[in-house]
Amino acid sequence: MLDCFFNPRSIALVGASLNPEKLSSVIYESLNSRFTGELYPVNPAHEALGRVKCYPSIKAIKERVDLAVFAIGAEHIPEMIRDGAGQFAGAIIVSGGFKEAGPAGRMLEQELREAAARAGVRIIGPNCLGIYDTVTGLDTFFIPPERMERPPGGGLSILSQSGSFAVTVMDELAANGVGVARVVSYGNKTDVNESDCLDFLAADEATSAVVLYIESVEEGERFVNAAARCVLNKPVAALKVGHTKAAAAAARSHTGALAGRYEIYSAAFKKAGVIELHGYEDFLLACRVLGDNKDISHGRRVMIITDGGGIGVAIADSCVDLGLEVTPLGSSVTRALRGTLPSVCAVSNPMDLTGSVIDRDFGDALQKTLEGNEYDVAIVASLWGPPGLTDNLPALIAEKKKYLKKPVIICTPGGTYTRQREEHFRAMGLPVFFTPESAARAVSFIAEGRRDRWA
Amino acid sequence: MGIEGIERLVKESLSLERENLVEPDAKEILRLAGIKVPVFKVVKDVNVAIEEGGKMKYPLVLKLISPNIIHKSDVGGVRTGIKSPGEIEDAWSEMILRVADEAPMAMIEGFIIEEEARSGVEVILGAIKDPQFGVTVMFGTGGVAVELMKDVSFALAPLDEEAALKMMSEVKGYELLTGYRGSAPCDVRAVASVLVKLSKVVGSTNGLKSLEINPLIVYEKGVVAVDARAELDLLDGYKTASSSS
Repeated sequence: MLDCFFNPRSIALVGASLNPEKLSSVIYESLNSRFTGELYPVNPAHEALGRVKCYPSIKAIKERVDLAVFAIGAEHIPEMIRDGAGQFAGAIIVSGGFKEAGPAGRMLEQELREAAARAGVRIIGPNCLGIYDTVTGLDTFFIPPERMERPPGGGLSILSQSGSFAVTVMDELAANGVGVARVVSYGNKTDVNESDCLDFLAADEATSAVVLYIESVEEGERFVNAAARCVLNKPVAALKVGHTKAAAAAARSHTGALAGRYEIYSAAFKKAGVIELHGYEDFLLACRVLGDNKDISHGRRVMIITDGGGIGVAIADSCVDLGLEVTPLGSSVTRALRGTLPSVCAVSNPMDLTGSVIDRDFGDALQKTLEGNEYDVAIVASLWGPPGLTDNLPALIAEKKKYLKKPVIICTPGGTYTRQREEHFRAMGLPVFFTPESAARAVSFIAEGRRDRWA
Repeated sequence: MGIEGIERLVKESLSLERENLVEPDAKEILRLAGIKVPVFKVVKDVNVAIEEGGKMKYPLVLKLISPNIIHKSDVGGVRTGIKSPGEIEDAWSEMILRVADEAPMAMIEGFIIEEEARSGVEVILGAIKDPQFGVTVMFGTGGVAVELMKDVSFALAPLDEEAALKMMSEVKGYELLTGYRGSAPCDVRAVASVLVKLSKVVGSTNGLKSLEINPLIVYEKGVVAVDARAELDLLDGYKTASSSS
């Protein structure tokens, strides 16, 4: 059970300090301002932090706490975990100086693992940033807020083996207004690993989608099972970095030479139904499209609606390249739209509403094409040249989307004026992309993330 | 499936500190697993080769057996299209000279004389044990150029025939099997069934690290495994035993 990490009622911060030169001061500030439970600073060097009582040890708290956060030098931590039996259920160890730091560090980590097992304490880390959680207000990321903006609350949860990767992605998501539920940087995973977290997130009501950054998985079969269980409830996407081949020259068969590590991870993702991501841009795209988009597509049939024919065709090409289907309009929808839209419009897929477009045309086209059973998802590509388009368009599309209950992706390429429209779409909870390729790719992720795809 | 027989074969080679099985042993594993292989005999003498060849249907193939040579055709260790006893004799002496030249240190255990399979669509199939993810199977096209073309797909075991068909359909060359440019569609189900068998054999045999068929010739009806290789791992089996404790 990982409740001590994801639903802690009380936290002891070991090494708590107000000294801004210490990493722990950032964690203390964050917890102090946003954590909703009981917070106990622990540091024998202080009697108080400001007006808050500071405890000389965890034991001195005299009450069992759910979670202890360690932001102190590595060497004393195993001993403190050993002595912590019965005093805390879980520990987040952000400190480095373990497995990643040579033979002495490896021994220390071994000691830590044994201490945790004996004390019955679950551990996240060491050598990590820990948890950023908008549900509970837990934030052990020791990067000051002016250097890394915290994303708002949302449905996306992120699991990352790399702390700096998690930090960078969170900063980008915050700048894009994409919300998160829980972010876990698990570092050396001496105890809790990606599979443990997936098991928790599978049943977590606050999480509507999971995106993982993976360097390596040790318990492969367990990972496949945990991910497959999670996929039953919500989309899971993963980026595996490090595409280096196994020593191909030494392989004694073609299978051995071709079965690099990456191919096997890729097969594992496929088996579990995990959406496979390629690179940093994909990771961000997946976060943005899966994050706040709870309307997961039930198929690959894409409707493209634009006021610029060329962009429409470019989007269609990208969709087809990605295995999506840009199916032609049915005859009854065509008839209905011919009666509604101005005669200059090209009533087809992609649909070109042309430069004489007004807001309402987008709304009508979206409603008539998506309300039946012919399409699973729409890409609305609004180019902002036509004078008939106003800043009310995003709200109109959002309203239609709410009624249609299908995913709608915005593609809006352009310069300054266009980029400024992004905010209006975002305010309406619509995911925005700036190129045909990225919009199509985002759609391919939600089409792949549909729950029934292996049924 | 003759798992005991397969395990015995693997154990014998492991006791000789072999890292891979020679072709006749790898084919014997396939036969025990219910995968069709051509009629063949292991021979050590050219007269026996001619005698055994006489009991077979020409054309025949002569192949070298050596635990040190992984890709036989690279060193002249395969001769196809043999149509008479005289040609067996010629092929035999040529092969000995050529291999002495190309791989002078190789240990020669003997030769295979084998009925040549009629032509069909050639594919490669393999199963390998991965230390993290367990048995992984591979399907591909491209024959000897498979490593160059990389037209292959992978899937984790366990897999059934449907999953095998799905992974097969992921490679570009799959169309070669489904009736490309007017040719008759091939027996893809038989290929899928071999993939399932390979994954089961590798998964259930300690010490067998990988098993590969290249090529498997696919016909309108049925398949035949023309060449096979197997990698061994002395520690496999001990590893699984200790990690589960």
